Parts: sequence; C-alpha cells; structure tokens
Amino acid sequence: MLVVIGLGQSLRADDGVGPKVVEAWAAMYPETAQAPRLDVKLCALPGLALLDFLSGFEMAILVDAVLGGPCIVPGSLLLFNPADLESFSSAAGSAHGWGVAETLKLAETLGRDDIPNQIRVLGIAAAQVDLGLEMSPEVQAAVPAAVEKLQELVAEMIGE
Amino acid sequence: MAKQTINVPALARVEGEGGLYIGVEHGEVKEIKVNIYEPPRFFEGFLQGRFYQEVPDITARICGICPVAYQMSSIRALERAFGVTPTAEATALRKLLYYSEWIESHVLHVYMLQGPDLTGHQSAIELAGVAPEVVASALRSKKIGNDLMAAVGGRSVHPVNACVGGWYRWPDQEALKAFLPDLEWGLEHALETVRWAATLDYPDFEVDYEFVALHRDDEYAILDGDLLSSRYGLIQETDFEKHFSEKHVQHSNALHSNSVDGTTYLVGPLARLNLNYDQLSPQAKQAAEEIGLELPLKNPYKGMIARALETVEAYLRCIELIKNYHPEGESAQELLLTAGSGSAASEAPRGTLYHRYQIDDSGLVEYARIVPPTAQNLARMEADLWQLAPKVLELPHEEATLTCEHLLRAYDPCISCATHFLTLTVEEL
Repeated sequence: MLVVIGLGQSLRADDGVGPKVVEAWAAMYPETAQAPRLDVKLCALPGLALLDFLSGFEMAILVDAVLGGPCIVPGSLLLFNPADLESFSSAAGSAHGWGVAETLKLAETLGRDDIPNQIRVLGIAAAQVDLGLEMSPEVQAAVPAAVEKLQELVAEMIGE
Repeated sequence: MAKQTINVPALARVEGEGGLYIGVEHGEVKEIKVNIYEPPRFFEGFLQGRFYQEVPDITARICGICPVAYQMSSIRALERAFGVTPTAEATALRKLLYYSEWIESHVLHVYMLQGPDLTGHQSAIELAGVAPEVVASALRSKKIGNDLMAAVGGRSVHPVNACVGGWYRWPDQEALKAFLPDLEWGLEHALETVRWAATLDYPDFEVDYEFVALHRDDEYAILDGDLLSSRYGLIQETDFEKHFSEKHVQHSNALHSNSVDGTTYLVGPLARLNLNYDQLSPQAKQAAEEIGLELPLKNPYKGMIARALETVEAYLRCIELIKNYHPEGESAQELLLTAGSGSAASEAPRGTLYHRYQIDDSGLVEYARIVPPTAQNLARMEADLWQLAPKVLELPHEEATLTCEHLLRAYDPCISCATHFLTLTVEEL
C-alpha cells in the first residue's frame, strides 16, 4: 500500500504548495489516485500526527514545500529520501517544532515497523512562507511539473 | 569580562518562533526581552468581512496543536452574539472534543517538549534512544487524543464538525464507544505520568503569581465559566476586557497583557490547578494526594505536574462523556441572523483564550478580537526571567542558557503559526 501525503498550510503562501500539487494530481489522474492500493491524504500541520498518517503503509510519498536556501531557485523540484533531511537532533538550524524530519527520525529511533520503509519526498522550493493565501508566481508555475513528477513517482512505486 | 554573548540560534521544542534576549552589564541583568511574532493579530484582520460560520474553521488554523480551543471560544462568542443556547448534548460533545485536544497537547508537551529538559536530553528523539518505551507510550496516548478528535470533529488536526449553533452532524455513538478500551489504557498511562512527573528534578524557583482561569463550581472548567483571579476573585467572563488589558511594547510584535492594576498574571495549567483543584474528579484528586501535592504550586517548571493531572482529568471526563452520549434530534440550532456582538472565553491547553466578535445584520464579521493565552503570559514570562536570570548568571554559561530556555518551554508557548526560529541571546553589555 502506498500513501501520498500533501503537507503544508495554505495560509502560509508557498507552504500550501504540497496539498495543492496533490489535489491537482488527484484531479488530473483520478484513476491512479483512486487505485485500490493507494491512499491520498492532505494535512496542514500534522507534527507528530504525521506518524498516524503513515502508519500501516509500506510506501509513502510526501509532497511538501521546502526552504532550500539561496542556491535553490524557487519552484525547483527536489526529490529526496528522509535521510537527506536534517533534523534538530542532527543539529540543523531549524526550530520548526516537530517537522517532517524530526518525526521520521523519531519513528526510526523507536524502530516503528508500522511506518513505511520506503519514503520519498517530493519537495517544491518555496520563495516565501509568510502569512497569506497567494503563492509566489514561480511556485505556482511549478505546480504542473510537480504533478507530472508525482504521477511518474507513483507509477514507479506501485509498479505500473 | 565586560562583554559576553550567548547565542542559541534555534530554540527547539516550542510551537513556533520568537526570541529571547538577556542583556547583562557587569554581572547585573539590565535588559530582558521575549519577542514573539504573534499571528492572531493578522487573523483578526482576515476575519473582517467573513461570514460568521467560517470563523470557527478559520480561527482553528491559528494553531495545529490547539485548534479546538479557537473553535470553542469563537463558537461560544458568536452564539452569544446571536442569542443562541446550544443543547446540553451539543455542549457535552464540545467538552469531549476539547478534552481530546487537552490529551494530545498535554502529552506532547509533557513527553516531547518539556520532558527532555527534565531528563537531561536534547530532544525526544534522544530520549527515545534511551527510553523507547516511554516515548512509544506517549505517542500512543497522544494518538488516542488525536483519533478521538477525528471521531468527534471529523479530522485529527483541524477538526471541522463543530459549528455555531451546535454540530454539523452527530458523531456515531458506537464509533465513540469503541474508544473506551483505549481511554481506559490512556487513563492508566496518565496516572503513571503523574507519578513519573513527581519524581523529576525541577529547578528550585518560585514566583508569587496572580493566577487566572475560568472557574465553575460543578466541574473543572474547560469550555465555559466565570473568570477567577487569585487576586481579584470572580469576574464575569464577558467582563474580560475590563479586567485584562493589552499594550504594545516596543521590542515585541506581540501585545503584552496586564491585569487591571498594571501587573502581570498567569494563565494555563498551573493557574487552573491552583484555582480549580476542588473541582477535579475524585480519581484525579487521589492521584494528586498520592504524590503529596501541596498547593499552591508556584514553580512554573511544575506546570508539568499540572499537565499530567489535567491529562488524568481529561481521560476521566472523556470516558464519562462517551458513556453518557445519546444524541437526539437536530445537531445544530437554527440561527436568526441579527446584528450583534458577543464574547466568550474557554480554557485552551495553554490557558484562557478570549474571543469577541461584532457581526452585521447579514452575518458578516465587522470586528474580531482574539486574546490567546501565550500573549497573556508573555509579560509574565519576562517577569519570571527578571527573577530567574540573576540566580543563574553564576552557573556555567551553557547551563544558565538552558535554564532560561527551559523556563520558556515550561510555559508551552503556542506560537505555531509563526515562522521558523526562536533565537536566544544572552549578551553581556
């Protein structure tokens, strides 16, 4: 079973791109999105509850906005594994409370066998995550490419 | 050494962003600033012109940890504006939803946010490395709270079922009853948590607080009640703004709250436990007696014990509310749109949350005011640091910093919707 999770807050500008991409993908590829061995979830600020969303699945794709630093052009698509994420336990500079990295790290430390062992993160580089409903133009423009990338990834993972 | 800077670029385990600055000159504390970016101010603007029924779901987005609190205060304030009284069943169900939020929020704070400070770990991940069963049980308890929120509220993070007038639909009775075994387990876990919290080594620090919380004679107040101040006694909930005012301070985007005489006050679990101990359920009181709890608790770090006891109370009340849940009739009252205004407070996991709204005759919000618990406690946090900092300056640099950080974390500041950094600076001027 594969779960596709769109993460982020629509009230925080580009942070809302994760759920937007997943929604757009589910609308464009309804047959894939409604496949029996696949579940689709959207959540704004799950924190530790991300574990509950992941529990019971063998594979997961997380779609989320990422702050990649000055070298990464906003709207860029980044594909990586949880091990590539820095968490506060590995002394990253972020204090995002319980973010995706910390939550996955905790599951790993606890040896939780109900959490997918295959997790891929599709990141969309954000320009800004200030309060506001509008996404930046470059991030908005990246949505179609992200949808295609997500479809490719899903097909690859469920073996289509 | 005339000048010295301690800079912690990322204070972990708080819900959001802010900064702490301590300025020291020749060994004397000269300046303390807790600066927290405060999103609810923007929400007050967002809400203007919105339809009243959107308000609970918009304000819920202020926080991923305590969305129910925002829904309950806003719904009750708007019901006052429309002159609607929810049914007893709708009210009981609101308490169930609210207690499920207390469970997930308190367990998160006890084990994941403050717990590592009191057990000498950098984070819950490190704690999980040495005591995986402790963290795994905490996650199970937190999940029970989240799952119950989803069963009652439709979603586990920002629930959507509560509305002005009642509920969009009654949750399924059998689905709620199915929680009882988990809730019994959670109650046992919460009782263990109280015993564990009592064994921890708390910094020796007491403050003479004015405690403020909602109060009811018949139960441990969560959804409604009168305001009770340890200094001024009972205050009508709707008189909140007459007794507690907010002012701008130059160094902070957040407003600072003061009591009517200009002094600071404390809201939150410690205040509630001190003011409402008599209203706890017998089993929660028994748990307090077993650990030899003596009130008033004046040590802010011991908010941990108050949270643990409130988790016991929350589990007990959830069990009772589910056993007595028998939904009948329409889930929501019909509303007649009239212009009006209303205010209400409720007890968020972190303390009293006050809302006031003015609605026009087409049901649109003309004015919104939201006073979150963290904003009310900000001035108190600074006052605590003024008292604490001189005592810790002699400690090794790292330990002094950690003690100050821990104090802020003990408050469980809820600044979740803010951006990404809380910076701590201690500077020798």
